[in-house]
Amino acid sequence: MTTSDVPLFSMLRTRMQWHQDRQKVLAENVANADTPRYRARDVRAPDFGQMTRTAGASAPTRTDSRHIAGTGGAGGSTTFRAHQTRGTVSTPDGNRVNLEDEMLKVAQNQMDYQAVVGLYQRSLGLIRTAIGKKTS
Amino acid sequence: MDFLKSIRIAAGGMRAQAGRMRVVAENLANANSTAQTPGGDPYRRRAPTFRTSFDRELQATTVQLGPVRPVAGEFQTRYDPNNPAADARGYVKLPNVSSLIEGLDLREAQRSYEANLNVITSTRRMLQRTIDMLRA
Repeated sequence: MTTSDVPLFSMLRTRMQWHQDRQKVLAENVANADTPRYRARDVRAPDFGQMTRTAGASAPTRTDSRHIAGTGGAGGSTTFRAHQTRGTVSTPDGNRVNLEDEMLKVAQNQMDYQAVVGLYQRSLGLIRTAIGKKTS
Repeated sequence: MDFLKSIRIAAGGMRAQAGRMRVVAENLANANSTAQTPGGDPYRRRAPTFRTSFDRELQATTVQLGPVRPVAGEFQTRYDPNNPAADARGYVKLPNVSSLIEGLDLREAQRSYEANLNVITSTRRMLQRTIDMLRA
């Protein structure tokens, strides 16, 4: 059993992946803050309800390598699609990146990520306590 | 690792803004560059262009400094018959560089540069937090 078999861990991992992807998209926005006709993009937040539904589901067991891998179950790489945001500020060159907005998003993304990492560590601590290991 | 990608995107943005600052410096340095020959054209203000391209390796739209093009515009003239660049009537053409516009452009470039730097700092903190998970 790995930590990814535990639904909580896989959910936290998905969330961390999302923050990582979002940071990349935000970095693109900031880098292109002076590019004509560039529109800012953002990543949609993962649906928590959807996550709880799929996290509990069990994937079919593959007893042979030629079996088709079933969908569902925890884990697996998730990709997040970026979409263009409705830019409100439009400069004469058609650029729709609001630098202040982007900075705010970057700061928030960083803080949320730290919260998720903290939660992950706490959950690991819980497991350690359960197996009877003294924690700090 | 997606965090390193974010850092590279932001670093590309910084490079483009630094190039823009270089062009501004060129313009300001040549604010008084008149022609070598009598009646000739003086230094013409040059403007940088930004170009976005999709980086296949990073899977992201990165920004680069495009070609630096001369800006069309009327030259101011000044009556100075003793100048070697003066035409038959004694007028000297002056470069179409306005220190006010260059100063504003410089501020803008500086602001974008700092925003990119901010993204790098934030991403580095997230990366550090991830590495810290190994210790706990």
